Amino acid sequence: MKNFNLKSMVFDGITIAFLFLVVIVVVTNPTEEQQLNLSFNASLAGLLFLFSGVISWVLNHFNIRTWGEQIFLPPQKKAVDAEVPLLKTFWGWQALIVLITTFIVGLVKTKFSFYELSNPDGFAGAMRLFQGIFNPDWTLLPKAVLNIIETIFMAFIATALAIPIAFVFSFLAAKNIMKGPVAFPVYLILRTLLNVTRSVEALIWAIIFSVWVGIGPFAGMMALMIHSIASLAKQYSEMVESVNEGPIEGILSTGATRLQMVWFAIVPQVILPYISFTVYRWDINVRMATIIGLVGGGGIGTLLIQYQGQAMWPQVGCIIVVIAVVVWLLDQASAYLREALK
Amino acid sequence: MSQTILSVKNLKKTYENGTHALKGVSFDVKKGEFLVIIGLSGSGKSTLLRCINRLHDPTSGEILFYDQDIAKAKGDEVREIRKKIGMIFQHFNLVPRYSVLKNVLMGRLGTMTSVASLLGIFNQKDKEKALDYLKLVGIREKAGLRADNLSGGQQQRVAIARALTQGPDLLLADEPVASLDPATCHVVMDYLKKVNQELGITVICNLHFLSLVRQYATRVIALKGGEIVFQGSPSEISEAWFEKIYGEGAKEVHIN
Repeated sequence: MKNFNLKSMVFDGITIAFLFLVVIVVVTNPTEEQQLNLSFNASLAGLLFLFSGVISWVLNHFNIRTWGEQIFLPPQKKAVDAEVPLLKTFWGWQALIVLITTFIVGLVKTKFSFYELSNPDGFAGAMRLFQGIFNPDWTLLPKAVLNIIETIFMAFIATALAIPIAFVFSFLAAKNIMKGPVAFPVYLILRTLLNVTRSVEALIWAIIFSVWVGIGPFAGMMALMIHSIASLAKQYSEMVESVNEGPIEGILSTGATRLQMVWFAIVPQVILPYISFTVYRWDINVRMATIIGLVGGGGIGTLLIQYQGQAMWPQVGCIIVVIAVVVWLLDQASAYLREALK
Repeated sequence: MSQTILSVKNLKKTYENGTHALKGVSFDVKKGEFLVIIGLSGSGKSTLLRCINRLHDPTSGEILFYDQDIAKAKGDEVREIRKKIGMIFQHFNLVPRYSVLKNVLMGRLGTMTSVASLLGIFNQKDKEKALDYLKLVGIREKAGLRADNLSGGQQQRVAIARALTQGPDLLLADEPVASLDPATCHVVMDYLKKVNQELGITVICNLHFLSLVRQYATRVIALKGGEIVFQGSPSEISEAWFEKIYGEGAKEVHIN
């Protein structure tokens, strides 16, 4: 009960404080210097958040249903509600105003402009680019093919090297088998480590490794591998956590060791999903490898950034065609493979 | 009087969520007995069996297996005990993707080195033993099939063969027929009886149906709310006892 109240108050606190802040910005029209005063603005936002939380509590106290309450109310309480039209409720108006305000603020922040879109100079420039791209320079094809092969192998090796490590991690990061005074801390530490690793984009890892081992496919491969280990280990361990407990009990009751239990009761249950995830990961890695090439990870991406930098659009067009074809083919192939593995 | 194989003394089990599943249970089991434990769902029957082979850790009390207290055994000791105590489950707990034979061979894991078992190297003697036990439960010809292709009754017989392959002195059966149809029920119970009488393996079996109890048990224990409310021979369970165990107004159902 308490828990739901807190969630609802936090939600209302954020949404209502947001409205207050928008009003303040519109009314006072702060200078850039004022906008950059983080500590003052943050404390203002914090105070408004607390104030709005109190408003939410007061409203709930007087039986006025706020948006947060509507969202976080336990289902069994919603079940007894009478049907009321959306616009006759407080929370309906709250939701509507917050969403519309957010949309308008978003348009202003992204400097959305029909004028720029229809600017003839800019439009002509885009047309030149399109003309180049749609008339690819096929003399670059051999080089592009060579580079995309490098990219495909980068992705392949990154995936292949990630598999055994992620495989081992997947059991160490699964809550259902990591019980006990030693195992549980290991689980917690590994989980946290994997989450942190995964939250750093492969692009950032590529920048780190291009400094560490130098620009080229090796840096790209390392970046993809690190990211793949974290992602695969997470996906794998979720499979381990959802296995049927029956065979585990069955194998343990015969006097098997924990290692034997994992090998004979869990692995047979997760092996097919593992393969499926891995094929998909390779597919993702090929696409990522292209992007990673842009920051010095080697392969087709590096080639792309070279020609793009010199505005050589016909060459860029050729590279884009090669990437599109390979990505499409791999996407299809991996979909068929995964379907067959079900 | 024959030897006491298992002696449970004042066994208590409290789960982490505060449920008192067992509130001080004491009983002895003689070698060769077919002991049946009855009681409602939640009366502590499954917990009791799982404490005996230490799939669950008892909170307090003693479990003497051949005069050795196993209630507080740890690590390798627990595995040594489990090798001598086979178990079959309501949902069979086979590994679905493995063949019947491989499932039965799982019973040998406790005696193998980790390396040999992980590589899947089972010796010829073990294989012959496994096939013999499959023959004993009448499904020798299914050895090469995948376990999940078998019917429920057949899967339970594979589970019995797996437990026998361990070479146990004691067999725990947790509601072995609860997810089977009435006809198959008797087939499985008959094999348990055969195991008990021909191989001399002591059986402790949780059951729901009183009619099965009368047919198979040599002795009965009734649990209610984590305590023993009846101990004796199956013929002694009268109408009055039945109501006491299962609650007022309960009607006995017969399955045949």
